[in-house]
Amino acid sequence: MVNCGLHLVIQTSSLPEKNKVEFKLHKETPSFPGRLLQHDLERNYSSRQGDHINLVSSSMPSFPILQRSSEEKILYSDRLTLERQKLTVCPIIDGEEHLRLLNFQHNFITRIQNISNLQRLIFLDLYDNQIEEISGLSTLRSLRVLLLGKNRIKKISNLENLKSLDVLDLHGNQISKIENVSHLCDLRVLNLARNLLSHVDNLNGLDSLTELNLRHNQITFVRDVDNLPCLQRLFLSFNNISTFESVCCLADSTSLSDITFDGNPIAQESWYKHTILQNMMQLRQLDMKRITEEERRMASVIAKKEEEKKRESQKQSLLKEKKRLTINNVARKWDLQQHRVTSIAANQDRKDSDSPSQDPCQVDGSTISAFPEETGSLDSALSNALQGLSVTDTHLVEVDGDTLSLYGSGALESLDRNWSVQTAGMVTTVSFTFIEFDEIVQVLPKLKIKFPNSLHLKFKETNLVMLQQFNALAQLRRIDQLTIDPQGNPVVSFTLWKYYVLFRLSHFSMQKINGTEVTQNDMIMAERLFGILAHVASSELPQYRLISILGDARKKQFRYLLETKGKKPGVVSEENNDSKRLVGENTNRATLNYTTRDFYNEKLEEIKEKKKFCKMYIEDLVKEATEINMKNEALQKLWPQMFIELVRDAVIEIRNKSSYMKLCLQQITDQK
Amino acid sequence: MLSPERLALTDYEYLAQRHVLTYMEDAVCQLLENKEDISQYGIARFFTEYFNSVCQGTHILFREFSFIQATPHNRASFLRAFWRCFRTVGKNGDLLTMKEYHCLLQLLCPDFPLELTQKAARIVLMDDAMDCLMSFSDFLFAFQIQFYYSEFLESVAAIYQDLLSGKNPNTVIVPTSSSGQHRQRPALGEASMLEGVEASLFYQCLENLCDRHKYSCPPPALVKEVLSNVQRLTFYGFLVALSKHHGINQALGALPDKGDLMHDPAMDEELERLVVRSRLHRTSRQHRAQEPGTFGFHRRDKLEAPERVPSASAPTPSPYRWEPRESCLVSATPLGPYLLHELHPRPQKGLKS
Repeated sequence: MVNCGLHLVIQTSSLPEKNKVEFKLHKETPSFPGRLLQHDLERNYSSRQGDHINLVSSSMPSFPILQRSSEEKILYSDRLTLERQKLTVCPIIDGEEHLRLLNFQHNFITRIQNISNLQRLIFLDLYDNQIEEISGLSTLRSLRVLLLGKNRIKKISNLENLKSLDVLDLHGNQISKIENVSHLCDLRVLNLARNLLSHVDNLNGLDSLTELNLRHNQITFVRDVDNLPCLQRLFLSFNNISTFESVCCLADSTSLSDITFDGNPIAQESWYKHTILQNMMQLRQLDMKRITEEERRMASVIAKKEEEKKRESQKQSLLKEKKRLTINNVARKWDLQQHRVTSIAANQDRKDSDSPSQDPCQVDGSTISAFPEETGSLDSALSNALQGLSVTDTHLVEVDGDTLSLYGSGALESLDRNWSVQTAGMVTTVSFTFIEFDEIVQVLPKLKIKFPNSLHLKFKETNLVMLQQFNALAQLRRIDQLTIDPQGNPVVSFTLWKYYVLFRLSHFSMQKINGTEVTQNDMIMAERLFGILAHVASSELPQYRLISILGDARKKQFRYLLETKGKKPGVVSEENNDSKRLVGENTNRATLNYTTRDFYNEKLEEIKEKKKFCKMYIEDLVKEATEINMKNEALQKLWPQMFIELVRDAVIEIRNKSSYMKLCLQQITDQK
Repeated sequence: MLSPERLALTDYEYLAQRHVLTYMEDAVCQLLENKEDISQYGIARFFTEYFNSVCQGTHILFREFSFIQATPHNRASFLRAFWRCFRTVGKNGDLLTMKEYHCLLQLLCPDFPLELTQKAARIVLMDDAMDCLMSFSDFLFAFQIQFYYSEFLESVAAIYQDLLSGKNPNTVIVPTSSSGQHRQRPALGEASMLEGVEASLFYQCLENLCDRHKYSCPPPALVKEVLSNVQRLTFYGFLVALSKHHGINQALGALPDKGDLMHDPAMDEELERLVVRSRLHRTSRQHRAQEPGTFGFHRRDKLEAPERVPSASAPTPSPYRWEPRESCLVSATPLGPYLLHELHPRPQKGLKS
């Protein structure tokens, strides 16, 4: 209150100076005006005649009439002070048309009256009265200062003719809305402090306004301030402003140099000062304090940081959303694919091949073709930010701390990327979602090399349906934990699956399966349940089968090694050690391996081909053999008779000994 | 060499009929498959090993289904291998679903068809809900019948169907395909008032079938024995009876008697050795001191599963101990479920699809 008064004083310095003088003067003769009035009053009552009778009859029963002595008139020809006179109405001021300054401070006036004849009035002070409505001012065209502070005014009105108003003080009233001021193009100071304003607008047309006092209202937002071309000082202390957005028009004002926000919620915010400074570069004072260059620099730095943070978080949330959408998309695709698989299977079952309407390859093709855009090395960023995210529509690869998450079969190709050593070393958990287990099996060798530290594998929606599929995991280097989500993995519903996993992967000495600690009893149980299988598989298989089964696994490994050869010799030698270890540790289990369905079917086809050949070959052989056998048998049948015949012939020949001898001799001599 | 049978056939036919050709073909096929490896240790050695393993029945391990089902010997070998490898599962008292048994089968034969397992489960579960749990012995004996006599049962099903619908069974020809045509619902008629078919008539047809059948069938005398016990029976009733029949199991020769199903002392000894080794192995690797020898660990999955025991056998065996409990697993009477089935006939149960 004092403050605002002070501002007003400073602003209208020339006039109140006189006012003060007058005040002093007034004090010197305290009883004079009162007595005078008393006298006038009496006089007025006694004679009901004169110029003002009409006026009296029209509005109020009676008005005191003021008259000054001619002495006084001469001394203070242009001013009149009626301060603290307990006036309830404005007295009729006669013969003072030249008055330029009129003071009614601290009275009980309820209505502005009887001053319409003072057309040369420049300064009118009605501070601290009981006026409820602005009125009776329409003729005061030269009025430049109107002080109506501390009254009961509810509405700004009836100022239409006061076009040259310079100062308008309406503080301490009950005004709830700024209105009817747009014509006051010369107004420089407007004081609306301590009113009931809830917001600020309708400020158009106040082209000369340099100071606007709005302290102690209930303002929540400010508009139109940017339409005040001359506004330099704006006081908004003790209001209800809580966001910068609600006063953002201030940022667009080019003239504003001094502003206060103290006593608003906004001033409590950590970002308050630098946000204001950053957005209002033209400002020189904030909350009555001069703004230094240093502060401004700080503000701009902080604001920049803030901006960056905001952008980052926006980016993060965008990525998160994108991730969510992608996962949804992958899930949808997966569902579709699952459905497709079953429907095709059903088709095959029915054996009436209606030529499947959709070409599965096409679906796969689009999945793959969506990928290549992203095989670049986002790796450096990864190692810095600890968090990388690459998103396409059909799959998702995410590294979050120590977890590598793969969604959708396309994500498996990310294992071909050149992962940085740090990232690769950091990843200890690999999670697969919405990927056929058979497809995962094919990349396990890659996984083993690219992420040597991966200890925890998670599978969700991967179509794990058979115990034997777990065999495929045995080729990895190490697994400490295995998590198989029941969702999309029917194998988990089996009673024996955990024991089979423990049995088959016993060389890993796993710690946990699906979050449950593995105990030694579990291990023993697994051995008891499946030990014989391993024993039979290793000890009863004929040698050639053993070699061929183990050979398959080794061949597979070898094939992969050929592919990666020349890249990292260290890895290869490690690989060799590894396979040695695997063989040494797990011989009786190594025969239990898993070939993916596609591969197995391929193999079956191959076998079929071979079988066909073998069948023909054996058939030929056997036919040949049976033919020979038949001939042999026939010969066997003939032979005894033949033999007898031969003997008989021989006997007949040698029956006549001498002639036979002669014959023999003859033959010998013939030969010579 | 001079048996009368042999004289009735040409050499080639004889070899084919005795499946010698099958093994010769397969041996050459295997040889081709593993040329490099085998050439290193000798072709003669290979053939010796091959035919030895055929004799021992270990030749079918991890082979493709087409080979496993190719000869009766292979089938019997596979049955025996399955029993030997997973006897421990039964011994532990685990009740498993059809799907899980199928997984076990696939551990030995990766492309084992689900259809066969389903059919076997149907014998145990009487065509009921297929998600039920079965005991190892119930499944094994049903599976034995279904797997070993697969083609025979196809024909029987066709005959049964014909009898049900009142056709002259003598016109029945052995079906050539394994399509499920025989599983149609019988037409509503007089036949469906009484469940199943008349046993004696059924036997006549089967006898006839056994004579003509080129695949292996159960000994007719035993079939007669099975059928002479009852007046009427359903198809599944018949299958259950076959699977529970002691003599047929013996004739088949792949599995021990039901009472001895859990006995395999040699293997148990071997297993103990393995367990001790694994325990040593584990404790040496990780120094996790745990008290050995207690098996009271928690079988969560089991408790969650619906404890529905399909046959009249087996009050649910408690799975927490390791001692053999054949007495629990084996049904009280060999024909228990079969008789039960007869006493409480369910209309059209036999060939319901």
